Amino acid sequence: MKSKGLIASYLILTIAAVLAAGPLVIVICASLKGQYEIVSNTASLLPEEISFYWYRDLLEKTDFLTYVRNSLVYSSLSTILGMVISSLAAYAITRLGGRKQKRFTRVIVMTYMFPPILLAIPYFILVSNLGLANSLPGLLLAYMSFTVPFCTYLLVSYFRTVPREIEDAAMIDGLTRPGVFLHIALPLVAPGLVATAIFAFINAWNEFLYSLLIISSGSRQTVSVGLYSLKGGMETLQWGDMMAASVIVVIPSILFFSLIQKRIAGGLTAGADR
Amino acid sequence: MIKKFVNRHMCGVFIAPAFLVTILLLAYPICISVFYSFTNKSLLGKPLKFTGFGNYQSVLSNPEFYQALWNTMVYTVISLSLQLMLGFILALALNRITRFKGLFRTLILIPWAFPMIIVTFTWSYLLNDLYGIVNGKLLQWGLIAQPIQFLADPRYAMVTVSLVNVWFGVPLFAVNILASLQTIPRDLYEAAMIDGASAWMRFRFITLPFVRVIAGLLIILRTIWIFNSFDLIFLMTGGGPGTATVTVPIFAYRMGWTLYSLGRSSAVTILLLLFLAGACFLYFRILDRWEREVSQ
Repeated sequence: MKSKGLIASYLILTIAAVLAAGPLVIVICASLKGQYEIVSNTASLLPEEISFYWYRDLLEKTDFLTYVRNSLVYSSLSTILGMVISSLAAYAITRLGGRKQKRFTRVIVMTYMFPPILLAIPYFILVSNLGLANSLPGLLLAYMSFTVPFCTYLLVSYFRTVPREIEDAAMIDGLTRPGVFLHIALPLVAPGLVATAIFAFINAWNEFLYSLLIISSGSRQTVSVGLYSLKGGMETLQWGDMMAASVIVVIPSILFFSLIQKRIAGGLTAGADR
Repeated sequence: MIKKFVNRHMCGVFIAPAFLVTILLLAYPICISVFYSFTNKSLLGKPLKFTGFGNYQSVLSNPEFYQALWNTMVYTVISLSLQLMLGFILALALNRITRFKGLFRTLILIPWAFPMIIVTFTWSYLLNDLYGIVNGKLLQWGLIAQPIQFLADPRYAMVTVSLVNVWFGVPLFAVNILASLQTIPRDLYEAAMIDGASAWMRFRFITLPFVRVIAGLLIILRTIWIFNSFDLIFLMTGGGPGTATVTVPIFAYRMGWTLYSLGRSSAVTILLLLFLAGACFLYFRILDRWEREVSQ
């Protein structure tokens, strides 16, 4: 009885693992097919002969590396800025305590409900009016709209774990409020800060709609929109380029994810059991 | 007394930047959208004119809007129910096994590491009628005579994009539900077994109450996210073929950026927001009750 359930569990997980990882394997194999093989040899998984044609094609003929660099810069800046604003707010919210805290966190969850497509129109107009269209500050501004509520929400649950007694003792010893925040609360929630920052980075890295509408020039494009224009800009779809780009983007993410998976497991709802 | 004031003051200063962001980036856009929704605001820069409820009337009498609403519902229901069910099953299985736990968890997390643009590249390629391996294999094995137009046939397109969304979203459910499963004390199960509770009863009265608050929150967040999601469908089908996969966000995008009518587009998004607000309110009521039950 007991082993039956165990065998079933392994069976289910094996099927799930194949379904989850299979597409990645297919994409990797496809990216290694030659210039003509990718459209001729479609029924077989493995390439007849390993070729790096599409990787060379992608790096030489498109601005792929520029897009990657842009996305890294935008995502990092948006994470840093968002984390500063959110950790201050989250700390203050937890010190309010009780009903007020619950109400604040509910408000934050509610901001999540605003459709990005609704916000996109006002941002487009706002950013244009501020003269920030097609610029990094313009995009960062839009990114704050999802980074700040998201990070604040997660951080509230981490700051809640800081015992008040430690803070009170430190204040009796002469530390000011900002001092307590900097020297006591922040170091105590460091693991939570890292987890939150990772999520914030991933969200910004994956963002599509705002960068599509706010950034118009090719050289400032993010990976998502850059690759989208790659798909749309050609008369025939260049599957090879798309597969090579996918491998280059996804493999580092997966390595990174497997390194940090313990840390992010459950992070998203860590605060839900309040 | 003074200390209390300083305390409160600091809270204000700390919250101020986030408050500004909220006002500028969330409250202001909502207000201005409401305003635009009553005007003929356009991308073409025509002089602004009030049109009253004209935009709403035109949207609400447009059959395409109702089709978009229906499509969004189909998309959300298929995606969410399968993500929740499969995520729960995988979490239970992961919680059960003893060996290769880390390996399985990493493999199952893979879809989550895909940015949406890559999800769509991958599946558009796999399901392509001419070059995709899915059709290639099915043809090779003689299971079909003609390639299946997964994304170009209006009968299949909606189901296809929903299933791709399921593929992408299951890991998030699995990992989060697993995390909450691991917080259940083992001795609860042992005590229940001594008392002769069946496997189903243990699941119903121990596992479910523990998991459902977190699952409930996940469902709220994911419902909103899927309902609002724009990129997956936009990137895979662009709403097509025809209007077969047009969801409300894509309908609003087409209004605003293809037809240049920002006023009408704003009306669509305000309706979308009202709809979500209603759903959210309902969820919070249910969640509050569950939380009270848990704490009792």
